[in-house]
Amino acid sequence: MKKIMLTLALMGTATAQTTVEFWHSFGDAKRTGWIQERADEFNKANPGTKVVPTYKGSYNDSLQATILAARQGKPPALVQIFEVGSQLALDSGVFQPVSSVKNVDFSDYIKPVINYYTIGGKVNSLPFNSSSPVLYYNKDLMKKAGLNANQPPTTFGGMLDACKKIEAAKLGVTCFGMSLNGWFIEQWMAQQGAPLLNNNNGRTARATATNLDSAAARNIFTFFKTLQDNKYYTYTGKLEDWDGSDAIFNNQKVVFHITSTADIGNNGEAAKKAGFQMGIGVLPIPSGTKRNGVVIGGASLWIPKAAPKAQAEGALDFALFMTNTANMASWHKLTGYYPVRQSSIDLLRKQGWFTQTPLQLVAFNQLTRTVPSPATAGGLNGAAIQTRKIIEEGVQKVLSGQSVDAALKEAKARADAALSEYNANFK
Amino acid sequence: MLKPAQTTANTEANAVFRGAAMPWFFLLPSLLILAVFIYLPALQTLRLAAYKANLILGTERFVGLQNVTELLLSPAYRQVALQTLIFMVLTVTLGLLFSLGLAWLASRPVRGSKYYRLLLIYPYALSPAIAGTLWLFMFNPEIGVVNQLLGSLFSVKPRWLDDPILAFGLVVVAAIWKGLAYNIVFYLASIQNLPGDVMQAAEIDGATPAQVFWRVAFPLLTPITFFLVFTNIISALFDSFALTDILTRGGPYFHNAGITTFLVYQLYQDGFVNFKSGVAAAQAALMLVLVAFITFMQFKVGEKRVHYGG
Repeated sequence: MKKIMLTLALMGTATAQTTVEFWHSFGDAKRTGWIQERADEFNKANPGTKVVPTYKGSYNDSLQATILAARQGKPPALVQIFEVGSQLALDSGVFQPVSSVKNVDFSDYIKPVINYYTIGGKVNSLPFNSSSPVLYYNKDLMKKAGLNANQPPTTFGGMLDACKKIEAAKLGVTCFGMSLNGWFIEQWMAQQGAPLLNNNNGRTARATATNLDSAAARNIFTFFKTLQDNKYYTYTGKLEDWDGSDAIFNNQKVVFHITSTADIGNNGEAAKKAGFQMGIGVLPIPSGTKRNGVVIGGASLWIPKAAPKAQAEGALDFALFMTNTANMASWHKLTGYYPVRQSSIDLLRKQGWFTQTPLQLVAFNQLTRTVPSPATAGGLNGAAIQTRKIIEEGVQKVLSGQSVDAALKEAKARADAALSEYNANFK
Repeated sequence: MLKPAQTTANTEANAVFRGAAMPWFFLLPSLLILAVFIYLPALQTLRLAAYKANLILGTERFVGLQNVTELLLSPAYRQVALQTLIFMVLTVTLGLLFSLGLAWLASRPVRGSKYYRLLLIYPYALSPAIAGTLWLFMFNPEIGVVNQLLGSLFSVKPRWLDDPILAFGLVVVAAIWKGLAYNIVFYLASIQNLPGDVMQAAEIDGATPAQVFWRVAFPLLTPITFFLVFTNIISALFDSFALTDILTRGGPYFHNAGITTFLVYQLYQDGFVNFKSGVAAAQAALMLVLVAFITFMQFKVGEKRVHYGG
């Protein structure tokens, strides 16, 4: 309400000024503060434009709010939308490709990142906060188990071997404890060069089926079966419990953990407090497969169609300012999200950032060495929120003793049904 | 003594509206607000229930009763309905028995009874979200307080959140705990208003404490019990949302659905996570039928079984 009053007041007094409402989903002081600082700088440099960033709840809430506002002709000029919502946002018809607002040179953006948001040759949204999963490990516990703490496992086979040694060392800890999250399954499909969805991951045409019956999917599910059979894996039991699994790792109850690169900062601090050395390794992948790289996760910035031209341009200008070379480098240092520009990486390198924080380098190489393909471009699917959960529930069934075959079959049937139910909206 | 009563009667006799329009005129503001915020949305929901619709896409396709029949035939939805029923019966019966017992004990004239009462009532001040987070921390299988205790005492570490039976039990216990304070407040107040002479008479006549409780106090408490049964049913049906969302996210997946996914949570998932507005509206319509049935039962049972005294 206050915001509306403020906007109204501004519209009354300074008619020449364009107000750019920016809705984002960062509720924490650190990230909200960073965004507000950038907006203040931008507003100072561009007196004709006033960017007003607002925290609009979770990604799901702000997507909903944007769509409803757009239907009433009053959308914000800039919205942060999560990657699983991309197809949905695209299908809603509410947004315009950022590349059609104004000509932008996208050559500086890291390839795998810009690939995700390039659909049908058009860049639909501007990458903002991107991350990928990496292996976190407890160096002290590894040493106690007689493992080389400088050589973390890079494959599923390597993980299982390490787990065996950890079990034999009787440290009273479990080997591995990541949160059960469909995002990781999607990443492991990409790493094997296998699209998760048909029609080239839903990029050449609307996806109509999942590839959960593929050998790649079987590799992943079998890994969980082996982990479970040997009691090498633990989690809180709740799906997508990021915090719960971080807490288990930071309390030294597990040796290995997998989570987003965006948590390197927070987990590193927690490890220091708990008094152990934390290491970062590449995401372990199924043994005997070529490493294809990761799909970026996170969110991007979208501009609604209904935003007047001046607002849309102001929004894009601000988005480009917020993601410029220096700002992306500072964003990365603050949060651990990837700087999405090549020039930012060069800047960080020049500043010696990677020698100060060698942990971040692993994450970078993982992203920049990604082989571009439909598999690593990531799956586009309007029911992605639902299919992600279905896949998680499939893994959970394997963990509770179901066979890999039965779990995959059921997950595929359910996910495919969700896809066709979604696609029926376009008949 | 007589005079004031007469004046009241006179004013009441005079307080008749002239003309039929007047009362409606006074009702108008409330009716308008109800119409905008309750009746219209309810009608819209009923309309939407007949469509396959997606909130984000803005698509609508008329399907008649298909949403409802699909729900009623879906094994997942049936399982969710059954789970909700079991959850409701367990939380309401156990919750009320437990709160009555605690309220009875806390109303005994013991030293410090005021503090016991205060401690019993305090969980009511917690929001369900906070309560859910508390339980989540306590029952984290690796680092939660509960498993650290169980681990050191009996060297067991139950999987509270992904074993279907344990997870269901945990949510039931958490919901009972969360509801205790509310029930205890009402029971405490009613117990303190029980007619002392009747209780004393029973004691003088040689009734045992158990007999006093079950034969005298309990029947006198039926009106409040009756009230609490229905408020508890409604809260089991509708307020379980925040607790399950934070504690279990409706999981673990068992058979055809998450075992702690109840009707409201399913509705939320379909409507606001997966944006299937039509299906969600159909679920809302089914829940409306359920609430109508419960209200009907409330009046029906209320007339027959409850001892209002006097």
